[in-house]
Amino acid sequence: MRDATFATVGDRVGPISIDLHHGGRAALVCACARDAQIVSLLAAGIVKASSGCVLIDDYDPRVQSVACKRAAALVPHEPFALDEREFARYVAYRAALWNVELRRAQLHASLLRKRLAPMHEAFAYPLIGALIGMPKLLIIDRPAPVYAPTILNATRGRALLTVHADAAAARAFASNVESVAAGGRS
Amino acid sequence: MRPLLGVLQARLFAQRRIVFYSCAAAFVAGLCQPTGIAAPLFLCSLLGIALALAQSPGLHPHLDYCEQSAPLFGRELARAKALVPCVAAAIAALVFIIAQALRGTGGLPLTLAIALAALVAATLTALSATIRRGASRVLYVALAAATSCAAYAFVAVVHSLVGELVFCAVVAFLALRQYGETLARYDPI
Repeated sequence: MRDATFATVGDRVGPISIDLHHGGRAALVCACARDAQIVSLLAAGIVKASSGCVLIDDYDPRVQSVACKRAAALVPHEPFALDEREFARYVAYRAALWNVELRRAQLHASLLRKRLAPMHEAFAYPLIGALIGMPKLLIIDRPAPVYAPTILNATRGRALLTVHADAAAARAFASNVESVAAGGRS
Repeated sequence: MRPLLGVLQARLFAQRRIVFYSCAAAFVAGLCQPTGIAAPLFLCSLLGIALALAQSPGLHPHLDYCEQSAPLFGRELARAKALVPCVAAAIAALVFIIAQALRGTGGLPLTLAIALAALVAATLTALSATIRRGASRVLYVALAAATSCAAYAFVAVVHSLVGELVFCAVVAFLALRQYGETLARYDPI
């Protein structure tokens, strides 16, 4: 991201500048939860920057959003409560959306469930869903610091960007912690 | 094709209750209503509009997140999301026709064709309301209702089945195209 800002009538976040290379880790600290949510959507290429530029794997979300979304995956902050059958359905759904072979996705999901065993299932399931598409970059919106070792272990080898509303939580995930300027809210 | 079927399956499962209630309403209406085209056309269009509005962002946040972050073009996502209320409303229309058949009403294939054409056009028009707020949202719902009225006018006033089918096909095509273009530019914030 280079001086990326997001501005609407009600929200203004940024400018944000951050470089994240393959396998790297970084954490961004925002002024509030709403800003953190916007920054994570911006970093995943789901919302477009109002000014400045965001490049994901050298693709610009404003022009090549599909390529960006294949390279980056977002884990939302909200937990996702599912039972066993619903989880199988969720894996099949994610596999269909990312066009991943179903059997491969199921095997990958069961492997990730073992790796993420210390995490509460409601927080582990969205992470498993995001990793099924084999993204190069993973963006996690306000992850709980208590799960930092488990998440870092499961996402090894991928670029990881965590977005927080609390500096202490950010330090649990990365030594490279950047603060996002609060843009103000009207 | 896989994303399309994946979205259809996931959304129909998430909205199984509203689909069931729509089918129940269609069944009761099919059993009670007098013969004529007005009831199936307007009821099925109304159910289609309600099911289209049930695709609004925020009702199933995890499905919304997955679909917004999936590597799909706006038109692909639009087709997948448009298929959901159309299929659900078509099931309700089919249930209505089954109820009519139980009453021994005749001319059901024609009634089904007329109702399906109107419901698809109204549903696809109403879909654009799901990603808008305020007056423009109300406007798209009103447009969807007006589409049903126009379809009825073609059948009941002009007595032209072909006219109704052509009108609904043109409206459905333009509405789906409009929805796809809006969805491609859509920011969830």
